[in-house]
Amino acid sequence: MVTREFRERYRARTAFVILATTFALLFGVVVALLAMDQHRVLEASQRLQQDTIPQIIRFQRLARNLEQIRQEGERVFSATTPEGRQQSLFLIMLVASHPSILEHPQSAEAARDAERFLIETGNLASGDRSQISQRHAEWQNISKRLSLLVDDLSVQGASLATDDLNEMVAVMQLARAKLIGALILVGGFLLLLILLLNRHLIRPLQRIDQTLSSLSVDQPAPEFPDARMAEIHAVEQATRRLHDSLAANEAARRELELLANRDGLTGLINRRHFMVIADAELQHTQGQGRPAVIALGDLDYFKRLNDTYGHAAGDTVLQAFALLLEESFRQSDLVCRYGGEEFAFLFPDSTVEQARALADRFRQRVADHDIRLPDGLLIRVTLCIGLADASKSTIESALHDADFALYEAKRLGRNRVIVAAETA
Amino acid sequence: MFFRPRLFTRCLAAFICLVAGAVTAAEQTLRVAILENSPPMSYRDTDGRLTGFSAEIIRAVCAEMQARCELQPIKLEHVLDALGSGEIDIAAVSLLDTPERRARILLAAPYFRSTSLWFAKPGVQPGDRGIRVAAVKGSAQERYARSQGWETVAVPTNGELGQPLLAGVAQAAIVPMITALALMKSKDFQALGLSSTVMKAPELIGNASFGISPRRPELKEAVDGALEKIKRNGVYERINSQFLPFRVH
Repeated sequence: MVTREFRERYRARTAFVILATTFALLFGVVVALLAMDQHRVLEASQRLQQDTIPQIIRFQRLARNLEQIRQEGERVFSATTPEGRQQSLFLIMLVASHPSILEHPQSAEAARDAERFLIETGNLASGDRSQISQRHAEWQNISKRLSLLVDDLSVQGASLATDDLNEMVAVMQLARAKLIGALILVGGFLLLLILLLNRHLIRPLQRIDQTLSSLSVDQPAPEFPDARMAEIHAVEQATRRLHDSLAANEAARRELELLANRDGLTGLINRRHFMVIADAELQHTQGQGRPAVIALGDLDYFKRLNDTYGHAAGDTVLQAFALLLEESFRQSDLVCRYGGEEFAFLFPDSTVEQARALADRFRQRVADHDIRLPDGLLIRVTLCIGLADASKSTIESALHDADFALYEAKRLGRNRVIVAAETA
Repeated sequence: MFFRPRLFTRCLAAFICLVAGAVTAAEQTLRVAILENSPPMSYRDTDGRLTGFSAEIIRAVCAEMQARCELQPIKLEHVLDALGSGEIDIAAVSLLDTPERRARILLAAPYFRSTSLWFAKPGVQPGDRGIRVAAVKGSAQERYARSQGWETVAVPTNGELGQPLLAGVAQAAIVPMITALALMKSKDFQALGLSSTVMKAPELIGNASFGISPRRPELKEAVDGALEKIKRNGVYERINSQFLPFRVH
């Protein structure tokens, strides 16, 4: 087990609640900023409506009145009767003293100067008309000054609106920049969210999915990189436990299989299991046209041995014999305890001659082998082996033939190997 | 759910009544009092129709308010009583702000700015002993003259302000700015050779407003709103140009 350094894990719900809250707060701040800009635009447009436009209209009226003074001034010079001149002077006095002009100091001063000049002119005119034309040149200057003031006021009125509009434009541009910033922020946040989701939920889930679909006892226990999400970590742990429990089940199953297929005393496979796998092996060999031999072996005088030395001695002999068997035959050869002191063999890829040589060598080895009984006594046993060619026949018929050969071997005096074909 | 024609018809009828009621309410009739002999503020033209700066302004205001206004003549001295009793809803009369007026009636937003002129023989100054001063009865000018302890000659209308001077009953007159414009056009008045000066007293200068009945306080907001609109949409300027030689607001 690999030891990992401890890492703090977060519950997915907590993590995403924190993320969502952060997002909501950020978004809220951005929206508030935009709302402030909107408010400023609204304020500016309200100011334009409520203050600036009335101010512009006031400037227009003021300009109109100054122009009126100028025109009446011209009339003072062009008037043919004293009454006409008096009318104009009277009107000039009214306009020059009107609050609309008095409230604008520059205009008030210009109007007062013009009024004073024109009244003086009027007084002179009642005496000598020639003096009027002399003063006209001076009046031209005053008149020009009034005209310029009228122009200034018109432009000033228009620029008041321009100021407000410029401010609105500036605010809107700022708001647009903020909006773009907000979009980038939202986009970035979504990207981050997707990355986090992918890294901490989707990819771990895919890993778990892959692991679960290929989970098998043949594979080593699954390994996961350390997950930061508590839930993912829990599922991974469960997957590991599942693998452990699969492995434990498989071990138990093998144990049971062993118990079912093996002979308890000798550890050799039992007759039932032999019949299944020897049949399959035989069919496989025959299918490829290769030779095979079936044999049956039986210990000589085993009943007498049991009677003489007891069943424990018999068991010891069987165990020692089984050990000899396992030492003497190829890995590919199948040997089973067929029953009692009887053993069955399958020699795949062996001709009868090869098998006979093998069997005979084994018979000799058994005959020369000392077996120590539990009481310390050394004894030797012999056996008979009947062989039958199984290259073409079924396992049952081959066993039948081998049994017949075994019987023949017993009949001929024991401790020998007989091939069925020889007796046929 | 079944369709019920009778219920539907009744609902429709109720709806129509409501809408009709709303339309009727929108076209309310207002009793508007106006001075008769006060050119160029308000006077009868050759056809006998009431017109003038104040008359046309109030017509434009009524149109803006979508109200039907019935113009009826009044004397300045009766304006406060008529408004106070609710006999009239609006007085389309240029009223300078005085404590009495403020206490008894509502003043709309100003519709122009006025001044007052002193007309007298050259050398006769306001406050000189032994002179009598003409003023319109019930006007701010009359109030001012009395508050100064001057002897006054009251005339009922602005149009008659010149008469006491022509008759020699009064030696001076305090005349509202716009009335002065009309007076100065009269040959007889010109012949008197009076000199005129703008009076500096703050009571005689400043905002002039229509009066609104204290029994109809809701009218103030409507009248003010309508005035604000016509000041912006050019209607006011046209009326100004039609009746007066310069911008009076």
